[in-house]
Parts: sequence; structure tokens; C-alpha cells
Amino acid sequence: MLRVAENSPIRVALVEDDLQSKGAVVAAIQACSTMKLVEIAATRAEGLLMLERAPADVLLVDLGLPDGSGVDVIRAAAVKWPDCGVLVSTIFDDEIHIMQAIEAGASGYLLKDSSAKNMLDEIRCVSEGGSPISPSIARLILKQFRRAHCAPQGAAPTSTPTPTPTPTSISTSPPKKSRSCSADETSLLSARETEVLELVTKGFTANEISEMMQLSRHTILTFVRRIYTKLKVTSKAEAIYEARNRGFLAD
Amino acid sequence: MKREIGDFWRISFWMLIGSVVASLGASIGPALAQQTQGAHGNPVVHLTSAEMMTNSMGPPGSSVEAASLTGPWIRVSLPHATERPLAPRRTAQRTGIDAGAHQTTTWYRVRTDELQADPDTNSDTTSLYIVRWQGAGDLAVYADARLVYHRTFSPGLNMFLHQSLLIPLNQTTDVRPPRVILIRMDSESATRGALSSLYMGDSAILTSQYAVREWIEYQLPYLSSAAFLAVGFFSFAVWILRRREPLYFLFFAIAVLNAVRRWHFYPGLERLSVSDQWLGWITLNALAWQILALHLVFLQLHKRQHPWVTRGFLALAISSTVLTLPFLAGLQGALGVRPLAYLAMMAAAFVLAAVGLRDACATRSSNGLLLALWTTISLLFGIYDWLIAAHRIDFERYYLTPYAGMGLSFLLVFVMLRRYASAMGQVEALSAGLEQRVVSRETWLADSYRRLGEMEQRQAINLERQRLMSDMHDGLGSSLMSALWAVERGHFDEAEIAEILKGCIDDLKLTIDSMEPVEANLLLLLAKLRYRLASRFERSGITLCWEVEDVPALDWLDPGTALHILRILQEAFTNIIKHTRANEIHVATGTDDNGVVVVISDNGPGFSVERALGGEGRGLKNQRRRAEAIGAKIDWDSNARGSRLILWLPLRAAQSSAS
Repeated sequence: MLRVAENSPIRVALVEDDLQSKGAVVAAIQACSTMKLVEIAATRAEGLLMLERAPADVLLVDLGLPDGSGVDVIRAAAVKWPDCGVLVSTIFDDEIHIMQAIEAGASGYLLKDSSAKNMLDEIRCVSEGGSPISPSIARLILKQFRRAHCAPQGAAPTSTPTPTPTPTSISTSPPKKSRSCSADETSLLSARETEVLELVTKGFTANEISEMMQLSRHTILTFVRRIYTKLKVTSKAEAIYEARNRGFLAD
Repeated sequence: MKREIGDFWRISFWMLIGSVVASLGASIGPALAQQTQGAHGNPVVHLTSAEMMTNSMGPPGSSVEAASLTGPWIRVSLPHATERPLAPRRTAQRTGIDAGAHQTTTWYRVRTDELQADPDTNSDTTSLYIVRWQGAGDLAVYADARLVYHRTFSPGLNMFLHQSLLIPLNQTTDVRPPRVILIRMDSESATRGALSSLYMGDSAILTSQYAVREWIEYQLPYLSSAAFLAVGFFSFAVWILRRREPLYFLFFAIAVLNAVRRWHFYPGLERLSVSDQWLGWITLNALAWQILALHLVFLQLHKRQHPWVTRGFLALAISSTVLTLPFLAGLQGALGVRPLAYLAMMAAAFVLAAVGLRDACATRSSNGLLLALWTTISLLFGIYDWLIAAHRIDFERYYLTPYAGMGLSFLLVFVMLRRYASAMGQVEALSAGLEQRVVSRETWLADSYRRLGEMEQRQAINLERQRLMSDMHDGLGSSLMSALWAVERGHFDEAEIAEILKGCIDDLKLTIDSMEPVEANLLLLLAKLRYRLASRFERSGITLCWEVEDVPALDWLDPGTALHILRILQEAFTNIIKHTRANEIHVATGTDDNGVVVVISDNGPGFSVERALGGEGRGLKNQRRRAEAIGAKIDWDSNARGSRLILWLPLRAAQSSAS
């Protein structure tokens, strides 16, 4: 996930059909000495093709592509470029789309109206293994984990904070048949991860949270990344379990 | 179900006709029998006259000396009834002990010359067939002075029992039939004695004649009465289960009373286990109670009330029951009261039939009409029987009241069945109707729900539109308008326009944010606001100190109220950024007794709250208006070292939660 060499520029790939947005990103990155734009695609098909080539460090994906959803590109990137941090590029960070993207494997999102500095900060943050988060997203993730936890036949493969469990490891570990709602609801999220999410919903920024928890800002942002990964894994495990239950998949 | 009823109707109609015809046939039966017998040509003699004498004798002996019967013999025509003795009641009451002295012995003598003329050993034996008789005490028949038949009957029983007798005169065919037949009959002084015409001759013919009469007159009514009694007990069982329907009990009562009433028709010639007095009492009063029961049936069928008639019938039944009690009146008294009681009951039956008919016509009840008509017929039958018993008409005729009982039982069963069938039909119709009503009600409900939903949706959309419109008017709309004017005037400052447009985007985002559920969580709402305004704070270089603490849930938070709060606070931040030179803003939350407080303070130079509220600026006034709309309170506090905005929010919804 981390770049091989600290001093080499961050390689950024872009999937964007809107010319102005594209222009803003291109201009911002070109003005930055520590970043390099390596790939640009304008459609979903181009984006998927791009993934066959050498991986970038950070991938920016617009969700509304002319020939399909950027979510497909994100999903493919999670497999083809596992070490690449994916940012969803969007005008408005509505929860449904962002959650969808995160579940597909995105590491965060980038608002199109944010300033160039902001944009570069976010790209850098992602390339360093961190992720941005908003109060709305934090609330939804908390809700999602509580529901998954309380679901009578939920499929939680693991509660250990392994950064990227592969799909095969999920399918080989049999899902628990049932879990009790009364059990500690942070069995999926660690106590610290939950604390971070709760503080975000109360309006505290990453900096403030890092002070309160006496951790570095970077650690907090990696917590968020880990939470996103868990969310992806949880939703995938749930889907597999569901499919197995319905007989779409052989045991 | 309807067809069955129709069939039943038809059957019942024909049975009604049949029973009337049968009754008529029965009453003219003897005449027909006479004719057939004439055609037969066998030696059967119909004797319609006899010699008669009366005397007073002791119990019958095994033989009688012709010489002892001195006469005077009077020739009488048969059937014959003795005259009623004068003032017998007084005599009986005075000397009840020596009953023998008040008994009259009546002798009838007939000769059988016709049978002697042609003795035929191939023909059957000879019998004497007495169609009917009336007497009390002994009946003895002598053939050629030798006793051939003797029975002692209960005096009371003889009041009613006029059963036919078939007496063999010779046991074998080689003996000539007797020449002279003597019939000795004792009778109570209070009653009449009577003897019908006699048949004598071929035993086979007379036996069949006797058997036919026996069947029609006794066994048929007896069987039907027993059958009705069985139905009555069934009815009683139904009533036990369904106490609310007295009709079933009345059917049972009528069936029992009918059986009791007919009792004196059915026993054989032997003495009964119950004394004559009690038998007479029971059978007489059964009629009175039966009239009452029938009356109650009518009331039930017609759903009418005739209190006075009911009371009258009840009084008749009770008084008759009490007055004719054997130990009160004694046998002789009972014999005297009884005709009076019969007269009273006949009158009562007349009233019963009249009232029943009138109600049946008034209520158009076919069941009631049937019963009332049959009651009328029964009444006529009763009068007819009474005339027979009183020897006003031919004594040999069939009594018809047993058939009235038969008809009554049949009709009651029929009425019960019809009521049952119609009740079943009603239940079916009711459940069908109910189903239909439920279905139509369901569709109506679904329809009204749909319309209600549509209406609510329209209203909600309308409210939302108004809310967004007023918000647009204050914020986004006017901001965009000022940007537009600046551009149109041509001398615009790019940075200023950009700032306005950024503000517009923030406005829009906050509007959309307000619609996302915050689940009564004020801190989440504040967090979103901070998140949206983060870039503005960053640009302005103001340090934001976030000092919130957990507050109770505010259940009244909805998109409308949330947007008001967001706008109030947004305005506050904008004012600080635009109009003060503050470089630090503190945002804090707290809780007081019945509300939540949000405090925004800055370290700017301060401003005059009075002037801001009274002056040209709309900012503070807008904030106050919005606060009032959600039942909140807003206050400012400003001095040279800084300003403070205090927004107090109630824990529970105020009078109006939406503007």
C-alpha cells in the first residue's frame, strides 16, 4: 500500500468524463512536484482497461461515467490494484453513493468543489494509507456495523483487524450461525475504531481526535481506512453468506 | 333448500287433504261396510232393532233365566241410547256408599232367525259384532241364556271408551248359532247407556270389518301419537340446548299433552292401573293445557301479545285442573262438572282459533295460518265428536278428534322444519351478505387509505415546497440574485462572486443535509454544519474550538426544524466571518433543566445587539424568527472583548415544530 520509495512522486490515475473536473485535477497535480498523473480514462471501459497496466498509487474515479458506473471500476481496482488507494470523485458526498463506493473498495472520496490544496492533501493522505471521513458517513458505518452485528445470521468472518483479508480467506472460514445482539457490539470494530467514528459524528476533526486520543493524525486516518476495509469485507461476507443460503453458491 | 320446502309444502297439503278425506271416509265407513256386506251374500245380519227392558240386578251370572226378565220389553231401533235419569247428581252426592242401588241394568234382546234358516257347515263360525256401546260397570252377553262374554269396566273409562267388540257365538261350525242374544249393560245413574246396531254372522267377514275399524279408529291415532311424542322429546332436547327458543318447549308440551289427552282412547279393555277418577282428570285437563300451549305457540309464531286471552286460558286451565281434582269433586261431581268443563274448553278452543286466524292473517304468517286453520278444523271435529257422544247424531260414527291430534302433530313438525330450514337459509344469506360487506368494506378502506396517502403525500410535498421556497428566499435565492446583478452591472469582483457562489453551494449542501435523518442527535447536526463550513473557516483563518458535550436526544428534530437550526448557526458563523475581526470561535453545548443550549462565542470587537435587531440588517431578526418557529430561544451578548450567541432548544416539541 505504501509507496516503495518515500521520495518518488505519488502516481495518480484518473477516471473522469467531465472535462472541467478533469482539467482541475490535471492542473492541481501538474502544479505539484510530489505527484504525477500516470493514467487518464474517460469511460468505464477505458478505466477497466487501464487496470490491466501498471498500478498507480492513487486512483480517482468519478461514479457517473457515460458507459456505466464507476463502482465497477472501483471493484475491479480492488482486485487488480490491491495496493492502490481509490478515491471517489464527486460533487456531493451523498451517503448512499459513498457507502456503495466504500463497500466496493474505495478508500475515501474527494469533493469536486474543494480547493486544489485540499485535493492534493486528500490524495497524499490516501497514498499514505489514510482515509477521509464525514459525520454522515461515520454515522452510517456505525449503524451498518450495529445492524450486521445484530443480524440473526450475520456473516462476520473475523474480528481481528487484519488490513486486507482476501476473499478466499473469507469463504473458507465458515460464518457463525448466529450471534447475540447483547454481545459487545464492537466485536467487529475495535473499541478505538468505534471511538473514532463516534467522535467524528460529534463534529470533531481528525486533528482534534488525534489530540484527544493521544495518537498521531496519521494513525487516526489509518483507522478510518481500516474501518472502510472492514465495511467492504463485512458487506462482501454477507453477500456470500446470503448467496450460499439461497443456493447460488456451492458450499 | 327452497325446493325441499316446496316439496314439503306439497306433501303436507296433500296429507292435509288426505286426512280430511280419511276422516270423512271414516265417518261414512259403516254405511259402506253395510253395502259391501250386502253384496257378499254371506250370512251376515245387520240388526237395527231390538227389544229392550231395564231393571236393577246384582252382578251378572253364568246364565240367565228368561223368566226372570219379565219386561216390559219395548221394541227400540238401534243404535239406541237410554234416557238420562233425572236429577242423578243429587242422589249420588247423598248416598255415595251404596252404588249398586243407583245402577241401572239395561237388557237388549235380539233374535237370530235369519241365521237359523240356512245352516251351512262349510261356512265360518258365527260372531256378534257390537260396533259401539256405552255403559259403566258390567257388560255381559248371553247366547241362548248362556253367558258368552263378560267384562267389568271402570265406570269412568266407560265415559269415553266405546270400543267395538267382536264376540264369537259358537266355537265350531257344526253347532247352530244361538237363537236369542241377550246383552246386559250396567250404567251409572248419572250417565246414559247406549248400544249401536249389531252385526251377526260369518266370523271371517265380521273379523275383517272389526279389524279395519280397529285400525282406523285406534291403532292409527295411537301410532301417530307415539311418533309425535318421540318428536316432542327430541324437541325438548333441542330446547335444553337452546333455552332462548320457547317454541321447542311448547312443541314438547303439546306432544306430551296430546298423548295424555288421547290416553283414554288407547288402553285395552282391562282395568287401568290409574283410577278412573284420575284418568278422567288427567285427560280432561290435558286439553285445557293444550289449548294454552297452542295459544303460546301462536303468540310465538306471530310475535304478538294478547295478555287477556293468555290469562283467560291460564285461568281456565288452572281452575279446571283444580275443580275437577278427584278428591275435591268425587266421581259423581267430576261427572257433573266434566260436561261444563268441556263446554268451556270448546269455547276456549273457539277463541284460540279465532285469535290465531286473525293474527295469522294480520302478520301473513303461513305457519300460523296453517296451525290456526287446523285448530278451527279440530274445533269442528270436537263439536262433531261431542254431538256423537251426546247422541245427537249417529252413535256409530267415528270420532274425529284423534285425527285432529294427528294433523296437529304433523303440522307442528312441519312448522318446526320450516323454521329450521328458514333459519339455516338466513344464516347462509347472512354469512354471504357478511362476506360481501367485508369485501366491499375492504375495497372501500383500501381506496380511502390510498386517497389519504396521496393527499398526505401531496400535502407533505406542498409543505416541503413552501419550506424550501422561504429558505431560498432568504438565502440561496438572494445570494444568487446579488451575484447576478453584480455580473450584469459588469463591474464585478471575481473573488467576491466566487465567495457568493461558494456560499450558495454551502447553502445547497446544508439544505440537502437537513433532509438526512439526524435521529434526534443535535451533535450530529452540528457536526455536519462544521463539516460543510470547514473550508470557509480554513479560508478565513479563524480557529474553531469545538467544545461540545453530549446532550439529550431531541425527538422533535425533523428536516424542517433541522434546517432552521442549521440556518441560525450558519448565519451566526457567516456574521462572525464577515463582520468581525475575530480569529477564534468557540462552539459549546450544554444542558439545562428542560432544554439544550448551544453557545457560539467569538473574540471579535462586539456589536450593539439593539441596533442589530432594530436596524436595517435582517440577519438577527431572521435568526429570531427561525428560533421562534421551532419553539427555541435565541439571545445575544456582546461587549468589546467578544460576542456570544446563546440558542436554547426545548427538550420536547413546542406548539409548532415546523415554520
